[in-house]
Amino acid sequence: MKVTRRDLFVWGAGAAAGMVFSPVPWKLLDDVSIWTQNWPWIPQPPHGPIEVKQSFCTLCPQGCAMKVKMAGGCPVGVAGVSGNPVTRGALCPLAFGVHQLNWHPQRLRAVRHKRVSSSWSEARAAFAKACGEGPIVIVDGRPGSAASSVLASFAEEQKGSYRVALSLETRALLPYEAMVSPVIPASALGYDLERAQTIVSFGAPLLDGWGIPGRFTRLWSERAAGMSEPQLRLIQIEDSLSRTATRAWRWVAIRPGSKNALAAGLARVLVEEHLVSARGPLSALTVSDAALQTNLSESAIRDLARTMVAKPPVLAIAGDERPEIAALNFILGSVGSPGGIVRRSKPTEKYELANAAIPNARAVLIDASVPWDYAPPTDAEIFRFAAWDGGSNRADWLLPAPGFLEEFTDVNSAPTSAVETYGVAPQLTKPMFEIHSAAQFLSAIDSSFTNPETIIHQRCADLFRERAGTVYGQEIMPVAELDSAQKFEAELSKAALWVADAPKSASLLCELKEWPSTSPAESPRNWSAAWAAAVLPPLATKLYRESSLREAPDRRTA
Amino acid sequence: MSSAVLTDSRWIARGADRSSFSRFLTWLAPWLALLALGVYAAFVCLYHGLNQTNMDNRFAFGLWIFLDLGIIALGAGAFFTGFLVYILKRAELQPILNTAVVMGFICYSGAVAILMIDVGQPLRAWFTFWHPNTHSMLTEVTFCISCYLLVLCLEYIPILLRNRQLRRLPSFLVFEHQLHKLVPVLAGIGTFLSFFHQGSLGGLYGVLRGRPFAFRHGFFIWPSTFFLFILSAIATGPSFLMLVTASVEKVTGKELVPQDVFRRLGFISGLLLAIYVAAKSIDTLIWLNFTSPAEGFAPWTYYIHKPFGTPVLFAEIVLFGLLPAFLLLYRKSAAHRGWLLGAATLACIGVLINRFVLTVQTLALPTLPFDDFLTYTPSWQEVASFGGVIAYGVIVYSLSYRYLPLFSQTKGESEHVSRG
Amino acid sequence: MSARYGMVIDLDRCTGCGACMLACAAENNVPSLPQASARTGLTPMLVRKISNGGEGSERREAFIPILCMHCEHETPCVHVCPQQAVEVDKATGIVMQMPQRCLGCRYCMTACPYHARYFNWWDPAWPKGMEKSLNPGVAVRMRGVVEKCNLCHARLHAAKEKAAAAGKREIDPADYIPACVEACPTAAIHFGNLADPRDPVSQQSHSPDAFRLLEHLDTQPKVYYKSKEPWVRALSEPNSGPSMEAKHV
Repeated sequence: MKVTRRDLFVWGAGAAAGMVFSPVPWKLLDDVSIWTQNWPWIPQPPHGPIEVKQSFCTLCPQGCAMKVKMAGGCPVGVAGVSGNPVTRGALCPLAFGVHQLNWHPQRLRAVRHKRVSSSWSEARAAFAKACGEGPIVIVDGRPGSAASSVLASFAEEQKGSYRVALSLETRALLPYEAMVSPVIPASALGYDLERAQTIVSFGAPLLDGWGIPGRFTRLWSERAAGMSEPQLRLIQIEDSLSRTATRAWRWVAIRPGSKNALAAGLARVLVEEHLVSARGPLSALTVSDAALQTNLSESAIRDLARTMVAKPPVLAIAGDERPEIAALNFILGSVGSPGGIVRRSKPTEKYELANAAIPNARAVLIDASVPWDYAPPTDAEIFRFAAWDGGSNRADWLLPAPGFLEEFTDVNSAPTSAVETYGVAPQLTKPMFEIHSAAQFLSAIDSSFTNPETIIHQRCADLFRERAGTVYGQEIMPVAELDSAQKFEAELSKAALWVADAPKSASLLCELKEWPSTSPAESPRNWSAAWAAAVLPPLATKLYRESSLREAPDRRTA
Repeated sequence: MSSAVLTDSRWIARGADRSSFSRFLTWLAPWLALLALGVYAAFVCLYHGLNQTNMDNRFAFGLWIFLDLGIIALGAGAFFTGFLVYILKRAELQPILNTAVVMGFICYSGAVAILMIDVGQPLRAWFTFWHPNTHSMLTEVTFCISCYLLVLCLEYIPILLRNRQLRRLPSFLVFEHQLHKLVPVLAGIGTFLSFFHQGSLGGLYGVLRGRPFAFRHGFFIWPSTFFLFILSAIATGPSFLMLVTASVEKVTGKELVPQDVFRRLGFISGLLLAIYVAAKSIDTLIWLNFTSPAEGFAPWTYYIHKPFGTPVLFAEIVLFGLLPAFLLLYRKSAAHRGWLLGAATLACIGVLINRFVLTVQTLALPTLPFDDFLTYTPSWQEVASFGGVIAYGVIVYSLSYRYLPLFSQTKGESEHVSRG
Repeated sequence: MSARYGMVIDLDRCTGCGACMLACAAENNVPSLPQASARTGLTPMLVRKISNGGEGSERREAFIPILCMHCEHETPCVHVCPQQAVEVDKATGIVMQMPQRCLGCRYCMTACPYHARYFNWWDPAWPKGMEKSLNPGVAVRMRGVVEKCNLCHARLHAAKEKAAAAGKREIDPADYIPACVEACPTAAIHFGNLADPRDPVSQQSHSPDAFRLLEHLDTQPKVYYKSKEPWVRALSEPNSGPSMEAKHV
């Protein structure tokens, strides 16, 4: 039989029509849509046993306690620890995305020398050579930790200098160093926010990333938020309507750059109207001068002074290093009194500050805890430890440091905290490549140094020996009730927090000889300012990109 | 069959005078290029996703939905002519019936093609048939449009089978004959389906309680826009048919339809447009005075955002509604071909403005008290894929005109020599 | 007993820090795509800034978190979805979106007066390796579908499993707290069962300071806002023209 073209057509059409009545097209249709639900290129979350562990965030000096959800050995989510007496369950916005940071594309994965790949052994050799050739400087961002003592003693051993990049909040406390006696370093001072009833903030972003996220925000939300007659009065003095100003009990809008004048004016009213017991010293500025400079009326300044002292204790907080505000606190009698500036811990030595000039150093080693923005004022060879490479950094050596939860480390009292605390952040994830902290690096160069792990062990033993304070873990236990140092250390290594007993007396001897002269002003920034890492969590970057909630901070939106 | 079958001239209807094949190809070439660009744009959208468009979370619907609604309204001439010829027995409209069917087919198939690109997961589009939400206007639209497209295919097939070569196959001839008997039934079904989906397309917006600019009360489950859309579609469908036929006449240089068919279409269009404008005015007044304030929106706030001021409302109802209705009905202007076609153009623009306002202005306007008024500019991919649909329409129509007896009843069809 | 989960957000406590937004995105595996913008991004929880329109020291600002309002009455998105990819869960009152059912027509997005629905304009993607940091409890959505807040349904699911394992019928309210509520450092977001008159959230929703957005649309949102500031409460009032322009920042 001859098959014609027509036969083929007929057969084809028949087959097509018949196919419709078979399950084939329908099954295909179904399979195709199921395929769209399981595209192979869509990433799948990890699988594995889920457990919740505790640790501390070490990406800024605050060291907040966090609950970390782990799946298959990877951190997959972060939450606050409600039982923690310092954070009280709160975290900064960035914290909710930190678990993704280790995978950030800008993660520093290998040693780099002048932007070219190098090795740890070369870096060690280069640093050892530098140590032999001249003085070195070591810069630390979280003074007081176990790692810090390695850095400090190495610097001392090498006749170099150990310097500290203090947080802006701590720097705001520097003016008090000269005022109190015996001399107490700013890093050992704190604000007794909990007992203050009126807080006058001179541009400090108290509700926008100032200090430990949980401390003031929780306090404010319990005692002030939305109340017309709050238990805690927050008066914000600022030229623009900042986040703190929007939520403050009173916002005093002043002309930019006139905070010092207002402080001087307020001090004069306080003394002249006998609103305080102090007698001076005062600035030469009169109230009407202050009124002129601030663009407030004279009566407004007088009213403000009266309002301030109406509900004591009253505490003035500066957003930056501003001796005038310290002087105002002195006039208010708030230095060394409950609800004012208090001493947190035993007097320690003053730190040399990182931003001071560095003369003729051979090399500068910068710890990963120092904010990426920090540029040492020197031409020396720079060894920069960092977990992320933010670019635009002058460092000669970039040395990959532990990222999020990749290091066993300890966490000291947060800046501005009124009580001393101590915690141990366990290492929860295994590093993906060879990384070393600055302390490990230095211990490896000179094996005579105790490694940070041993120091942490010793500190735990020391704290236990004092038998003071309380441990906040799964349960709250006074140290005195714990059986052994091992038990204490075991609790701490599960990220429990040791909190010292409140000091029996907060009083400090203080003295103010003359009203300070005008200080250079530094504009305080929000929570991303203290952030040590060169990059922000990708989800924070998303927040800047996909909403108009905030302006993105410089350089950190990669 | 011999290879001679493939010769172009043997496919052209006997007696019909068409331009040379090369000339025809020259005419098609730019359209084919546009179609190719459109297909490429559509491919880009399907392959990379809708990020290729400039739509966003607020402007979730954009150019495509506006033009879909527009061409579906203009394509209403197909069902409405069928309805007039077969149901109302207006035999005088028979000459434009075929062209109406082809136009309808082009508009609807083009709209469905665009919709398939417009949805994020076209491979799941059939879920609507499997898990239909009977409360959704879009379900009604999906069912009616797909069914009606099927009806249009069935109506198109008899025209296709009347091609000179295809007629030679006895089975096709029989099939065509049988199908032809079905056409009045199909016209009835088409009318029913079209009536509903034209309405549902209006309902799509009218039911949006969350968009007080579009929200309307109505009758039973149907908001007033349901009826207004039907009215405006059947009012402008004939006008559009007139414009298409007139354009084909212009391009081919032939008189394809008797003048009185134009006047008849013009009258029908004008009459319905007048009714529509009256209904639309009443609806607008009710909405301004009752519906919108009840939803918490002072109606004048809709018009404070330029360029969507009250002139747009005026243009939609008066300039492109009342005026063409008058021109189409007024004996003197209707008698003049130029005025007639001009009025038809105004009417078509009017319905497009209406669809534009309902789709684009609705989304541009803020709803939350702290929202912004937003604007949106379509991306080249959006414009090009729609250009592709236009090109597709021109090509399908040109092929149909050349090879199928669209105007077989017109005696003058073969008397002039021109291109086509 | 069927619950009606809802929220009361105290706007006087909101400092606009954005912790809720980050916590939400992390919990729900929302990608951070460099291509996305404020108009094409995925922000199931979005904090917006509002102002009283004043100038200088007269100016007042506030922050308002916008999420799916879980409308109770004639839920606009549920009504319009052609293929039942959106539904109101009878047991919880949560408006659920099923991405596997969604065809991406975006009709629900045009229907939502709160702009609380988001379309996946891109395939979700993370930098290499970062998929290991995704929350295992929540499936990643593919490109071309709509998503929105589901009140952290995965957490509800986990709470139910926990209750079932303990042989209980009802979940412990402490086990079901959406990520944004948990993350808020000022405890501005209160979450609870509006149907339970003893629930503090239900009580707060009746406070004279409580209001809802676009109340006149009568969709009965289950997200309430609260403020002592009259200009903030005025957000619930019918718009009256110029103030509408003045209020946005």
